[in-house]
Amino acid sequence: MRTRIILSIALLAALPFGGTRAYAHHSNVAFAVETVLTATGTVKEWQWSNPHTWLIVDVDDGKGGKVEWAMEGRAPGVLLRAGWSRSVLKPGDKVTVHYSPSKDGSKVGMIARVTMADGKILPNAPPGD
Amino acid sequence: MRTSRIVVPILTVIALSSSVQTQSPPDFAGVYRPINAFGPAGGGRGARAGGPPAPAPGQPPPPPTRTAPLSDGSQGRAPTAPQLTPEYLAKWQAMSKARIAGSSENDNTAKCLPPGMPAMMNMAYGMEVMQTKDKITFFSELNDALRRVYLDGRKPTPAILDDPTYAGYSTGHWEGDTLVVDTVSLRDNTYIEGFTPHSDQMTIRERIRFVSPGILEDRITVTDPKALLKPWETVKTYRKMTSPPEDQLREFACAEGIEHAR
Repeated sequence: MRTRIILSIALLAALPFGGTRAYAHHSNVAFAVETVLTATGTVKEWQWSNPHTWLIVDVDDGKGGKVEWAMEGRAPGVLLRAGWSRSVLKPGDKVTVHYSPSKDGSKVGMIARVTMADGKILPNAPPGD
Repeated sequence: MRTSRIVVPILTVIALSSSVQTQSPPDFAGVYRPINAFGPAGGGRGARAGGPPAPAPGQPPPPPTRTAPLSDGSQGRAPTAPQLTPEYLAKWQAMSKARIAGSSENDNTAKCLPPGMPAMMNMAYGMEVMQTKDKITFFSELNDALRRVYLDGRKPTPAILDDPTYAGYSTGHWEGDTLVVDTVSLRDNTYIEGFTPHSDQMTIRERIRFVSPGILEDRITVTDPKALLKPWETVKTYRKMTSPPEDQLREFACAEGIEHAR
């Protein structure tokens, strides 16, 4: 019994802070940067974090199902200057993500651009950059 | 009559003293954004292709064709890249092979390590310069990286030379309006540019000046008798920002993305 309680506490403590998940920080070379694919889906989570932001999206698989993708974005400082913000995306938002796929075939992409439901474009670089 | 006789010499004195003041060092303090951070080959407007394309009223912009400049070495070394000795070219080739395969293992930035000199002077995310008579400090938003240039005449001691760092140890002096900086005691696990390797014998000379109002230029010469066939020169240019929010840098707490720090 006591062991079970201690185990539960240990498991709770092991949960990442705030319930958010940690994703690896990648170099650009982890992605096929000259290939840009398009995915449409629903925002599950938007992490405004250093050194890279993360957009977790439930992507339509074309067969009526959903597949979770982790889309890696640039740093908050750069995205702020490109017109993004901490609250620009929220769970449930419909988005179209243009992304470069991971070279290892995992469901991870690097964001080139996000188009929101109202047509607003969130680019990955500030004007003139 | 008497008044003008007094006023004229006073004005002359004021004019002379202000001309003396213009000979004091220029003030580099401020926040700057790089011009062509990724160099002329891959840089400039639209370098990332996710950036805003040319506006076409009523038409949706074309989808981006790439996410970032290709930087895995698969296209070989540019003619303007540092020319490496065979030993260091072999190191570059080995790293290129790993990068083409998608490995981040040789990427210091992906590990939240500072870019180090001279790569940090790309200042891709912006630069803040702080200046006093005896010291100029350069701060990079990317990786919250910092370097100090001492202007008070001090020289690197044996203890400093025995303790290499990412930014190295920089001393400088003014030659007219140009700040001349020498940097020594650099770690050998950083890259000159991109992922061009260097040895622990690398030293750097910079000439920094305003080429026009608000446009700061850094002419960088990298010398490394072990890694380079000849000294390599590059020029970085930055534009001074004059109003918010562009004249502010944002915090870049890289450790936030490292699992053990969460």
